[in-house]
Amino acid sequence: MAELARNQTPMHTVQEKTESASLWKEGWRRFRKNKIALIGLGIVVFFILLAIFAPLLAPYDFKDQNLAERLQPPSSKHLFGTDDFGRDIFSRVIYGARISLWVGFFSVLGSVIAGSLLGIIAGYYGRWIDGIISRLFDIMLAFPSILLAIGIVAVLGPSLQNALIAIAVINIPNFGRLIRSRVLSIKQEEYIMAAKAIGMSDTRILFHHILPNSMAPIIVQGTLAIATAIIEAAALGFLGLGAQPPNPEWGKMLADSKDFLTQAPWTMIFPGLAIMLTVLGFNLMGDGLRDALDPRMKS
Amino acid sequence: MTLLALMLAVSMALVGCGKSEKTSSGATEKSSSQDTLVYGRGGDSVSLDPATVTDGESLKVTKNIFDTLLDYNDEDTTVKPALATEWTISKDGLTYTFKLRKGVKFHDGTDFNAEAVVFNFERWANGNADKFPYYGSMFGGYKNDESHVIKEVKAVDDYTVQFVLKRPQAPFLKNIAMPPFAIASPAAIKKYGDKFGENPVGTGPFIFKEWKRNERIVLEKNKDYWEKGYPKLNQLIFVSIPDNSARLNALLKGEIDLMEDLNPTDLKQVEGNKDFQIFKRPSMNVGYVGLTATRGPLKNKLVRQALNYAVDKKAIIDAFYAGQAEPAKNPMPPSIPGYNDAIQDYPFDLNKAKELLAKAGYPNGFEMELWAMPVPRPYMPDGKKIAEALQANFAKIGVKAKIVTYEWATYLDKLAKGEADAFLLGWTGDNGDADNFLYALLDKDSIGSNNYTYYSNDELHRILVEAQTVSDENKRNELYKKAQEIIKEDAPWIPLVHSTPLLAGKANIKGFKPHPTGSDKFTKVEFK
Repeated sequence: MAELARNQTPMHTVQEKTESASLWKEGWRRFRKNKIALIGLGIVVFFILLAIFAPLLAPYDFKDQNLAERLQPPSSKHLFGTDDFGRDIFSRVIYGARISLWVGFFSVLGSVIAGSLLGIIAGYYGRWIDGIISRLFDIMLAFPSILLAIGIVAVLGPSLQNALIAIAVINIPNFGRLIRSRVLSIKQEEYIMAAKAIGMSDTRILFHHILPNSMAPIIVQGTLAIATAIIEAAALGFLGLGAQPPNPEWGKMLADSKDFLTQAPWTMIFPGLAIMLTVLGFNLMGDGLRDALDPRMKS
Repeated sequence: MTLLALMLAVSMALVGCGKSEKTSSGATEKSSSQDTLVYGRGGDSVSLDPATVTDGESLKVTKNIFDTLLDYNDEDTTVKPALATEWTISKDGLTYTFKLRKGVKFHDGTDFNAEAVVFNFERWANGNADKFPYYGSMFGGYKNDESHVIKEVKAVDDYTVQFVLKRPQAPFLKNIAMPPFAIASPAAIKKYGDKFGENPVGTGPFIFKEWKRNERIVLEKNKDYWEKGYPKLNQLIFVSIPDNSARLNALLKGEIDLMEDLNPTDLKQVEGNKDFQIFKRPSMNVGYVGLTATRGPLKNKLVRQALNYAVDKKAIIDAFYAGQAEPAKNPMPPSIPGYNDAIQDYPFDLNKAKELLAKAGYPNGFEMELWAMPVPRPYMPDGKKIAEALQANFAKIGVKAKIVTYEWATYLDKLAKGEADAFLLGWTGDNGDADNFLYALLDKDSIGSNNYTYYSNDELHRILVEAQTVSDENKRNELYKKAQEIIKEDAPWIPLVHSTPLLAGKANIKGFKPHPTGSDKFTKVEFK
């Protein structure tokens, strides 16, 4: 019996690996066919490159003030014009990509890790642990999310890092619930039963079988969540609770220039466009990923 | 059947009620467009007991609820009779005798008389810097202090009050006319105790009706006001709209009738509109950066001087005041007697600033907090923007400033405790005397009240106290000029600007003359 068990484990893993590899391969094949998703991917890659090469691309330092040249309309010298401190908006928008993407990725990474952990525990062990964790999620979801974020930042003090933490926290229940439901269905699969039957430890089952098999929906949800996180960061920045001056956070740039809406519309248009485009990019890409990775969509 | 009839009768009565209510409220609305003035401003009052506050937002409201013994002329700070009709000064300058106006009643119906005046001054003299901060800084302290100027206040008869001073105080009459030293109803003070600040009772042209914090303060006409035929307005409402642009929008939409702190950059927009008019308040203010002399690197005079060299005042004025201000080099405006025009301001010189920092032992700069006020002030339309400009200035000499802000009342409270490193603030003179700037803001006696920098210099103190007692105008001015030299050298501030505050109102407002002190009495204001 012991011999049999030893033989079976590696066999199973091998089979699973090929299966999952083909899932990703198949997904990529289908994603490639989806033109709109590719546009999304293109936008996202564009902004990532912008963020990485900001110091090379930006013609000016984002914090260089030149009060004599304030509120200048777009020109060849200042492509997007200048703000009320005479700072180059083009450079600020480029540097702003760093902040927004940084907040987007890391806040979502944070909520994915925390959410998955809680979701797996809730789904796998069930009973009272599930009760506690699920009710916790319910409570968090009962708050309007931006209000919860404002509350968290108010307690921690306004800064970019705290805004990131707040956004991560408010997104935990979304991921938690998603994973929990995945776990509940995967738990019933035969290979999990088999793994249990041969005495595999819970941790091993959770992290070697259940988690990898839940990755696809997490990635889809994660991509979409980055879009929302960027909007939330901008909202917190707009309220003065996110990035602090002189950091060029897009939402903060909007807030700073709202007084000049009629006088100097370019101070709002370009950061606004930047927010819109990145969010659109992540949304298109996320939708494409969902179509590509959802097993139910398999023809 | 009887039940049904009863119900019918009741419902009819209810309908009747509803109807009559509607017509009556409709009527008040109609008349309100004529004689209710809604005044939009940037912040709410802290308290409506004028003696307990020093901030303009409180005093501009209490100025209309209370009267002082003397008042200022409409457009400058020369004193004129108010609750006191005439006064005599003894030859030695130590005894002031005031004849009081007869037949004046407080809003609660009690009589205004000499006893009431004595009661108010006793109340303040028995207080401390926490309770009545302004009294201490204008009259040299409190009852048991050596430096206290007023020896006693006594009622000679029902309508005669005598002030006996320990030493002559040149600006005494101007001090007496300041809005914080308004005479309140003794009966009401006894009745409300600590809550008097929310239930103010005075003799002024308007009666306090309602205060919704951070929203509005409603005052109603005092029909028995001693100035016959006034006030013209039926209601005076102060509303708080912190954002300058939002306040302008409210004016353009007709939600308010008059607004202060118009963004200088919005001036053009209003000037071209014939439905509105611009009021320019005569400039008597200073906007500054305070450098708290008890905190970190700022303890060092060289560091404070270095920061003075690092600020490009002209660029800031061009950008944020649209030219409606001039750069400041002294802690008081040029319109005040004693202004030292011979002083050369610290020029904008980054190399010199770095040199001084290095000499002070901070060649690579340092980190500090820079506090920005959350509300627009007449001397600073947008504190946060100016802070951001200063932040960039300081960064050039390696000083990393973190911009911090608090709600207005908390902001002042924390400043008074000396918790800020560098902070933005300003001052609008309350009586047009140099004493009200230099002594009130920078003397060591004023630490804890209006000297937020905790700057303390004994020689300066000696000069300022001497200036208070000298009655010869020329000698006084010489002393104040010397004081400004000391202050410039010690650099407890970066004086930024003297601004011309702008107000905008509906074109049909008549009789409104903005006073340089920033507190306006609306007695004579009306709609054409």
